[in-house]
Amino acid sequence: MTPLTARRARPASAARPRRSATTPPWLFAAPALAVYALVVLYPAISGVVYAFTDWSGIGEDWSFVGLANFRTLLGDEQAMGSIGNTLLLTLAVVAVQNGVGLLLALGVHARLKSRALLRVVFFAPVVVSPVMVAFLWKYIYNPDPEAGLNGLLGLHVDWLGDPSVALWSIAGMVVWQYAGYSMVIFLAGLEGVPKELHEAAMIDGAGTFQRFRYVTWPLLAPAVTINLMLSTIGGLKLFDQVFAATNGGPGYATETLSTVLYKQAFVFGKFGYSTAVALVLALFVAAVSLIQVSYLRGREVSV
Amino acid sequence: MTGLLHDARVSRGQFFRLMGGLALASAATACSTRPETTATTGGGGTTTELKFVGVSDQKAPMDKLAAAYAQATPGVRVTPSYAPTDQVQTSLRTQLGAGNAPDLHVVYPGSGSAMSMTQIAQAGLLADLSAQAWTQTIPAGFKPAFQLDGKTYLYSAGSSVIGAVYNKKVFQQAGIDAPPTTWTEFLAVCDKLKKAGVVPIALGAQTPWVTQLITYALVPSTVYAKDPTFDDKQQAGQATFAGSGWQQAFEMYLELQKRGFFNDKPNGTTFEQQTSMVATGKAAMAVQVSAVLPDFRKAASSPDDLSMFPLPGADDADSVWIPAGVVVGLGASAKGKNAEAAKAFIDFLGKQENINAWAKEIAAIPLTQDASSTIDPAVESFLPFTKDRAVPFMDQRWPNAEVQPVHFAVVQKLLAGDSTIDEALKKMDEAYRK
Repeated sequence: MTPLTARRARPASAARPRRSATTPPWLFAAPALAVYALVVLYPAISGVVYAFTDWSGIGEDWSFVGLANFRTLLGDEQAMGSIGNTLLLTLAVVAVQNGVGLLLALGVHARLKSRALLRVVFFAPVVVSPVMVAFLWKYIYNPDPEAGLNGLLGLHVDWLGDPSVALWSIAGMVVWQYAGYSMVIFLAGLEGVPKELHEAAMIDGAGTFQRFRYVTWPLLAPAVTINLMLSTIGGLKLFDQVFAATNGGPGYATETLSTVLYKQAFVFGKFGYSTAVALVLALFVAAVSLIQVSYLRGREVSV
Repeated sequence: MTGLLHDARVSRGQFFRLMGGLALASAATACSTRPETTATTGGGGTTTELKFVGVSDQKAPMDKLAAAYAQATPGVRVTPSYAPTDQVQTSLRTQLGAGNAPDLHVVYPGSGSAMSMTQIAQAGLLADLSAQAWTQTIPAGFKPAFQLDGKTYLYSAGSSVIGAVYNKKVFQQAGIDAPPTTWTEFLAVCDKLKKAGVVPIALGAQTPWVTQLITYALVPSTVYAKDPTFDDKQQAGQATFAGSGWQQAFEMYLELQKRGFFNDKPNGTTFEQQTSMVATGKAAMAVQVSAVLPDFRKAASSPDDLSMFPLPGADDADSVWIPAGVVVGLGASAKGKNAEAAKAFIDFLGKQENINAWAKEIAAIPLTQDASSTIDPAVESFLPFTKDRAVPFMDQRWPNAEVQPVHFAVVQKLLAGDSTIDEALKKMDEAYRK
């Protein structure tokens, strides 16, 4: 309802006070930060308290037990074994997913006629829910020698039922789903490598491999950093695929920290202990990613 | 994208008019399509809505009885929702923990799971049903599944049994006329089937809960037939899994594997694959709980081919005992504002005709029986046992929710050749004492 004259009254030349380019407009972030604090920070921090209690998850009957949950964790064969599984799974996923992702990216970055289609095909599994992927792969991993992957490759492997194979079967499933994700990030990195550098290297007589090693690879470092960090975090907190495919079995062969903390809370009814495991997992993931990022950032170069 | 906006020839005034029009249009449609959520029943009285959260196995009987209740009791409506067991366990425990439990929800009999009667009742979250008439007729042997400290907190329509689900046609083709009644006969039958070129026993041990069924089927004969008070002794610390008939049951389990009576790679085979193997005649039988008989029948081209017999866990037919467990039931939230209405609904479920109706839907043996009770012909061979040679499923008397998952895991390890029976029993004893 501002009278029109009011607008005209302001001299056209009087510019609004300019915000300096260096101070970010924090006020604009306030609503988002408030919501974030309310639905993420507050519950997360208030949840930490339970790590020091023996709460069962239901009822009001609980008491503080100090560090007992953490001591139990150290002596918990199953949880400790799951740490080993988690690390192995993470290593396998990080190495293979990014290796395959990089190869795919190099492949579809080349001047292929069908590259647009191929990019879509390789990225497609990423948009499927991980639980669905696990259910589909349960069919592919059918132990029957005439069905699924066994039938295709003429093998006779008990993919999910053999304790020494199951963990790697799950890694394969995860790689299949997320290699396309790594591919997209590498592809973005490849697009950022200036053509001139390649041309200059070619004139200097560098072959395909040398150009990759001395031009592409160093300039791809930021993409490598992001990919390694994301896949490491993803691997360390892997839950859906394991839960849907094997539920930690056979025996405890594919139990990860995430499935252990789920079971402690919702199957065994030990909420306090489960929170302690979750806390350890969160700190562990944070520590690993900090170390990783600070190392990888150090080797990044720019044009 | 920004270029597009800069180039667009729309003045600020035009833009706002456009937006205003859009907002008006959407407001108008929103009004016209708003669903009517405030319906009341005839006479202007309000409807009490009772929320029920259950597991998928309860869908068939619950839908039927909720509809019957709505007719019998205008003004109260039960709105059920269902999900697979582990999902319900997760969401229900969260709701219970947060203090906003649904009015009625699934409760497992006994004490051995995180959603079991004992564990929830101990937290003070289940309404006491002891004043209802039907609770007076609970058979003595089943009382530990329904009651804590003499008070009833669980409703369940009856019991199901564990035994061998078998394909009659496959048995006939292999020249087997009658189901075996002793362990030796059972092994001979398996041998005959194997020679006839079918898998004698389908085992889907990749699905965790399937792993326990063969031990559960054997333990009544190897443990409880010799000592019916084993549970009490174990609770008092006078007996352990190690050194008991459990050892023998595991040995028998593994003997079946050693003789090649299971399908190849049971640890990689799922419940669904197991079901289809028996239903299609690729395998002759599967040790299963009678509650999943409908699943087997659904997968078979001629459902009448499927029947059950008790798995004989002893060499003397008279000392064969069977597992008969109370089926998953429900309880009323003690703290909800509709607690009285919820209890009234359970009282309705407790009527004999409704017990019959619920049991019929899931091929269970009704909790109490009258002339109109029907029993699935497939489980008739179990009836002679139910009086004095039946024991509840073992986990219903276990003290915590950890023993059962440990049992799953050790069976998988045993089948994989990754553990010895002694180690397995030791692990279960450790979990029992937690």
